[in-house]
Amino acid sequence: MKASTLRWLIVSILIALWEILPRAGLIPELFLPPLSVTLIAGFADAGEYGQALLVTLYEVGLSMLFACGGGILLGAVIGSLPRPRVLIMPMVSSLYAVPLVILYPVFTVWLGIGPESKIAFASIYGFLPTMLATAAGIQTIDPQLLLAARSMGATLSQRLVRVILPAAIPTVLSGLRVGGALVIVGVVVSEMLISSAGIGYLISRYRTILDSPHVFAGVLLVLAMAVAFNAAIRWIERKCAIWQTGTRGAQAAADDISGAIQPAT
Amino acid sequence: MSDRWTISLGRIAIVLALFALWETLSRFGVVNSRLLPSASDTFGTLADLLQRSSVRSDLAVTATEVLTAFALAVPFGGLIGFLIAENRYFADVVKPLLFFAFSIPKSIFLPMFILVFGVGFSQKVGFGFFSTIFIVIMSTATAVESVRVEYLTVARSYGATRAQTAWRVYLPSMLPVLLEALRISMIFNLTGVILAEMYASRDGIGHQIASWGENFQMKQLLAGVVMVAAIAIAFNEIIRWVETRCSHWRT
Amino acid sequence: MQPLANVTPLRPAQRAGAIEIRDVGQVFRTAGAEVVALSQVSLEIKPGRFVVLVGPSGCGKSTLLMMLAGLREPTSGSILINGTPITKPDPDRVGVVFQEASLFPWLTAEENVEFPLALRGIAKAERRAKAEEALKLVGLEGFGKRHPHELSGGMKQRVSIARGLVQDPPVLLMDEPFAALDEQTRMTMGDELLRIWAATGKTIVFVTHSLTEAVYLADEVVVMSARPGRIVDHLQVSLPRPRTYEMLSGDVFGSLRDRIWRHIRKSA
Repeated sequence: MKASTLRWLIVSILIALWEILPRAGLIPELFLPPLSVTLIAGFADAGEYGQALLVTLYEVGLSMLFACGGGILLGAVIGSLPRPRVLIMPMVSSLYAVPLVILYPVFTVWLGIGPESKIAFASIYGFLPTMLATAAGIQTIDPQLLLAARSMGATLSQRLVRVILPAAIPTVLSGLRVGGALVIVGVVVSEMLISSAGIGYLISRYRTILDSPHVFAGVLLVLAMAVAFNAAIRWIERKCAIWQTGTRGAQAAADDISGAIQPAT
Repeated sequence: MSDRWTISLGRIAIVLALFALWETLSRFGVVNSRLLPSASDTFGTLADLLQRSSVRSDLAVTATEVLTAFALAVPFGGLIGFLIAENRYFADVVKPLLFFAFSIPKSIFLPMFILVFGVGFSQKVGFGFFSTIFIVIMSTATAVESVRVEYLTVARSYGATRAQTAWRVYLPSMLPVLLEALRISMIFNLTGVILAEMYASRDGIGHQIASWGENFQMKQLLAGVVMVAAIAIAFNEIIRWVETRCSHWRT
Repeated sequence: MQPLANVTPLRPAQRAGAIEIRDVGQVFRTAGAEVVALSQVSLEIKPGRFVVLVGPSGCGKSTLLMMLAGLREPTSGSILINGTPITKPDPDRVGVVFQEASLFPWLTAEENVEFPLALRGIAKAERRAKAEEALKLVGLEGFGKRHPHELSGGMKQRVSIARGLVQDPPVLLMDEPFAALDEQTRMTMGDELLRIWAATGKTIVFVTHSLTEAVYLADEVVVMSARPGRIVDHLQVSLPRPRTYEMLSGDVFGSLRDRIWRHIRKSA
């Protein structure tokens, strides 16, 4: 059997089990309500979930702007300047070891429990990996390309626009992927912790009243969001496939990085 | 050599400058010192907290949870990762699924752990395990695949047995990658346990931090943040140090 | 892409492309230590000559080439091309072909060749025409729309050569351009290069590790020694042109190669 066929078979079986096991009473419905029950619960309150989704998307959008914009910009600057890079990069990756969730209470004290604290937290959450990925990726630009451009008389700004930026595109994309995924996590986690709106909040609220179908409906919605985001990025990456073939090792490096700094929790 | 010293000095200077900035911002009232207690106050509080037996027992609880989850996730994930990497077909089938599982936010499953385990030790350890296992599987598989085919061919051509190959080729050439995997797994693990504690728990340092936040106890909150950050960074640096020690393996 | 018989190059007398290297030295400073990469190198190259630089690794031949390209300033001495000093890259006088093709992966072959023209803001139509001409010269007519990853190693180097020639500079510098190619492709590319050289009459300065390649291609071979890099021999290759494969096993060829090898073994 082809690997992909078997894979889809496994996925279908898992989905079927989600329906069958709780129905057969092998798993208590409190732990895992059947898929159909979950979907029905979700659609019955589509309005509420839609509202929550809008709140979450708004927070995710703004955070992404800050996290990815700032991360890519700063990463590009630090990555291309050798001295600050040697000085700062190891410090940033040490910082990455810190479970950043502990900062969220600080933000709630400072900014309240509205969208501001979520945006601040998710921005920081997505910022570090994006910056690390971009800085590391800028370094993988083949120095020969820059040398060649220089030998043809390219000025500094021409090198930036015509060589460094295009060569950095794969890196920036993988930074976007990592950072964006983390931003989604950050927003949802902070909504789950302390909040009054958003999908994370809905999940938590339904959890306290032990309404499993509604909890899982929320979980599915977040999953769909993460999957959609991933698919969008992959689509863009495919569009830019030409970039990735040439920049020696850039893709490999980018993969390494995003492998290493995927969404923690 | 002198270069390395300048770099270290530079880093220390940056850290000191940040703390100095923090101190001045708060001390000279640039920001409300109730919202941002000064660095010195925070460190004073930290020393205080470390004396308290309740904080110590919270730390002990968290440490136990973290270590338990880690001790479960690493061998289990390592085994799965090894099996996946060894069998091409199996790898082709499972890897995309794992990538997917890896890329979705784990935190949304936290409520499920509470529904199943209730609030307590097993829920936190369970979630810590769940947040760690995927990265362990992925990085073990990567580590196994990073072993050069040439080494394996050489070993085989000299008639090495399976056990000999595992012990003399796989292990030494994987060691640096494995250490890196352990380091990153620990980051995931710690984050998972602390998040679980913050979300719903009666003890543990994550729970403490969350409740200080809810009660606007800024000094304690910041001291707690500094404490957890220091522990995490220290652990990270230790493994990194060991990694560089072993780095001559990597070519 | 059929290599034409390599004919004796046309050398219009007025063609620029004279290179004068006067007492050039290069010192690198790394972490407190000073490394003398080149010391008192003097060399005169007449227009239209094919000169090959050889020497052990670390003898500074690539450094010398970088200085000729204006990518690195000599610590002492001066370099003149067409009679005027070169202190920064000047694509009007010098084209450079690098070791790995160093083509921009996001541009097509033709856009890569146009690149130096685009830098100077030359209009699209003129750019395209010149690029097409250059690609035709290197035998890649019809491959302009391909991206580098769709081309073989040899073809990529051809694009690279076309890019070096597109502004019609009198001097072409080549830094181990065929080092990454396999033996057969390398031989073919050598013949191709001789054909292009014959057709254009450029002064070529070519760095290589391969002694066979050096003798096969060159009018003159300049042998350098390592640390500090200096010129230890400068030989004229008296083999007639067009060069043929049979010459490789001849006595003249053998003795020239032996002479170079003895220098290199001594200094390594």
